[in-house]
Amino acid sequence: MILLRNVSLRLKGAQVLRNINLEIPPGGVFALIGPGASGKSLLFKVITGLLRPDEGDVHVDGDCLTGLGDIELGPIRRKIGMLFQNYALFDHMSVYENIAFPLRRLFNYSEEQIAQIVAERLHRVSLPGFQDRFPPGLSGGQKKRVGIARATAQRAPIILYDEPTAGLDPVNSQKIYDLIRDEQRAQGTTAVVISSDVAGLLTVADRVAMMHRGELLFAGTTAHAQRSGHAAVNQFVHGLTEGPL
Amino acid sequence: MSETVRSETPFGLIVPERMGKAVLGIAEQVGGMGVLTGQLVARMLPPRIDRFELIRNMHKMGVRSVGIVSSTALFTGGTIIIQAAPLVVRFGATAIIGWAAGFAMLREVAPLLIALMFSGRVGANNTAELGTMVVTDQLDALRALAIDPISYLILPRVISMIVMLFALNVIGDLVALTGAVIGANALLDVDFALFMDSFLTMLEAWDFVLSMIKSLAFGVMIAITSCYFGLTVTGGAPGVGRAVNSSVVAAAIGIFVMDYFSTFVLK
Amino acid sequence: MTIHAQPVDTHAELEPSAASEPSALKTLTAPFSAFGSDLYGLYTLLKQTLQAIARGQVDRESLVAQCYSVGNGSVLFITVTMTVLGMIMVVQSGLQTQRVIPELSLLGANIIQLLAREFAPTVCAMMLATRVGAGIAAEIGSMVVTDQVDALRMSGAQPVAYLVVPRFIACVVMLTALTFWSLFVALVAGTFAANTVFDLNVSTFINFSFVGMSDYVVMILKAVVFGMAIPIVSSQRGLTTFGGSEGVGWATTNAVVHSSVAILLLDLLLSIFGYLVFPPL
Repeated sequence: MILLRNVSLRLKGAQVLRNINLEIPPGGVFALIGPGASGKSLLFKVITGLLRPDEGDVHVDGDCLTGLGDIELGPIRRKIGMLFQNYALFDHMSVYENIAFPLRRLFNYSEEQIAQIVAERLHRVSLPGFQDRFPPGLSGGQKKRVGIARATAQRAPIILYDEPTAGLDPVNSQKIYDLIRDEQRAQGTTAVVISSDVAGLLTVADRVAMMHRGELLFAGTTAHAQRSGHAAVNQFVHGLTEGPL
Repeated sequence: MSETVRSETPFGLIVPERMGKAVLGIAEQVGGMGVLTGQLVARMLPPRIDRFELIRNMHKMGVRSVGIVSSTALFTGGTIIIQAAPLVVRFGATAIIGWAAGFAMLREVAPLLIALMFSGRVGANNTAELGTMVVTDQLDALRALAIDPISYLILPRVISMIVMLFALNVIGDLVALTGAVIGANALLDVDFALFMDSFLTMLEAWDFVLSMIKSLAFGVMIAITSCYFGLTVTGGAPGVGRAVNSSVVAAAIGIFVMDYFSTFVLK
Repeated sequence: MTIHAQPVDTHAELEPSAASEPSALKTLTAPFSAFGSDLYGLYTLLKQTLQAIARGQVDRESLVAQCYSVGNGSVLFITVTMTVLGMIMVVQSGLQTQRVIPELSLLGANIIQLLAREFAPTVCAMMLATRVGAGIAAEIGSMVVTDQVDALRMSGAQPVAYLVVPRFIACVVMLTALTFWSLFVALVAGTFAANTVFDLNVSTFINFSFVGMSDYVVMILKAVVFGMAIPIVSSQRGLTTFGGSEGVGWATTNAVVHSSVAILLLDLLLSIFGYLVFPPL
């Protein structure tokens, strides 16, 4: 369960997050949508403690993040798996090492356990046998999937996906969304997904929040979003060219 | 993307293989730089230069480097005095400290250090800019607009770097001299008049000219290497970083080698 | 399911940054305050690095890889430059000395002392600043702009301990070793030059009478200090990168330049210190 109260953030002179009040309940796929530069990725960074808000507080699974340093955030970060927008794979490590890295640092698994987890994850994202490959030699789609494998390897209760389908063709995009939903159902976790591909995402999302220019415009079920009376929300959800955006 | 097939090199041949690769790599780079030089020379007769680009680059490379070069020169001037001090004390030669500091500075230390700092600041930055342009397809965009990147982009930069390094060398010499005078005064109680006396009488105009010739040669070396490595970047942001690294290293080696040859050639 | 959205005006403009009144005082002090906050940033990084080392957070594999990269990777470069430097020093000093005193018997002795106190540590460090400094800033900088540093933090690794510490230790150790190597190489090259150009025989040239313990102390002190300065300055430039590949280019450039200036400044200060505290014979 993620709770943000009155969160505001200023970066380089611009107000990038304004008074965000958001509650993400446990379980289900939660979609975070909005036009470019509305602050969605920044919200992820605030939730994971990578950025500290100027005002307000953040609670993850009952723990308050305010005032905690990188070391203290360790136990909380153990509960969150994250897929970064640019996949952020470690270029100098193999695929195996990439996925094993958080497992080694945050947990006490044995090497055999880690090998098992990595193999299972790679199989799940349809990249069997890719353990010894290196990121620079992979295609964009493959790197995304390795990123998902790394994010989900921790079996964390909360998984954040930042643009999991950017740059992928429609078929592969849908496969990724289905994968996200299946994982969520199988593990009983909470998945929060940012995507510009609203139509595709809403096929698997249970709840939606929409951001615009650092503010939260709407939060509710997918059904509510699609029938919303709010002009901007309506325009964005249905991909209309006319409207306030 | 397919797996790269790795052929097994027999153990005994690994070192020669690496050396061979290194030699071929260096040969390719030197050759590439030679080709670039040729292309630049071809575009200089008759001269076809974009005046705006030229002035913009001169400002960026020259004016913005004065601070770095001045601090370098000032520290260097002081350091030379400190290192010369034991010799001076040993031989009781306070009368010739002006000359001792002067010859070291003008003939060697100033052109070398200023060239290295210039390479680090302007050369590296130039490689980074050109590299980023290559990676973001801006060079191809220029070609698509029928603009020749070499004469539009590269030539002004090369000329700016050579001219600016020369000017910075002059400034650097003066600042280093100031640093040396201050150091001599503070550490060895040598006053300005005494310092300048030996400086002016024992050093020849040729020493100064030599300093200038060296800086021109270094300028050419830095310009060509930084442009070459910038133009041949591959691989996105990490590629740009690697190119900058290679460019400053190559420039440094080139400067040292040139310095060596000039020492023997221009006695 | 609770809805917590705030009703907002979708046409609200992003707050413009507070307009600051032009101030002569601000403009004049800006470079100094920027320099000051920069120094503070470097000091903080140094402190964090030393703290991480004290806590024993050293990644052994990374450390070995870094030592190899800094040391073995630079040996050839240093050898070439120091050979050239050794020869130039001998030839230049010899020529100039001949203008004043015809005999060169003490040339070797003086040059060796100069090499130990000044040229070996400083030139070696300048060359390393160029090669290693650029490398460190480029590696760390590209990791920053591709979110890999954030991914490290999410995976429970601290950037300072994981990235900076191995490079820090590697630079200090390797620079000290390379400084000794530089001294040796320059000496050999210088002897060769003295022999061929001035017909000085080897035993006359290789004269350690002016080189004492104090000179070695200064040399090692310089090597250690320079070895700390290069990775700290370069890592700091790398960690504060922003702006894609152009940002990485800037970080690399600044790393080389600022490390070099730092070396020259520290050299001046350490030389003064050495002159006053360990007076040369």
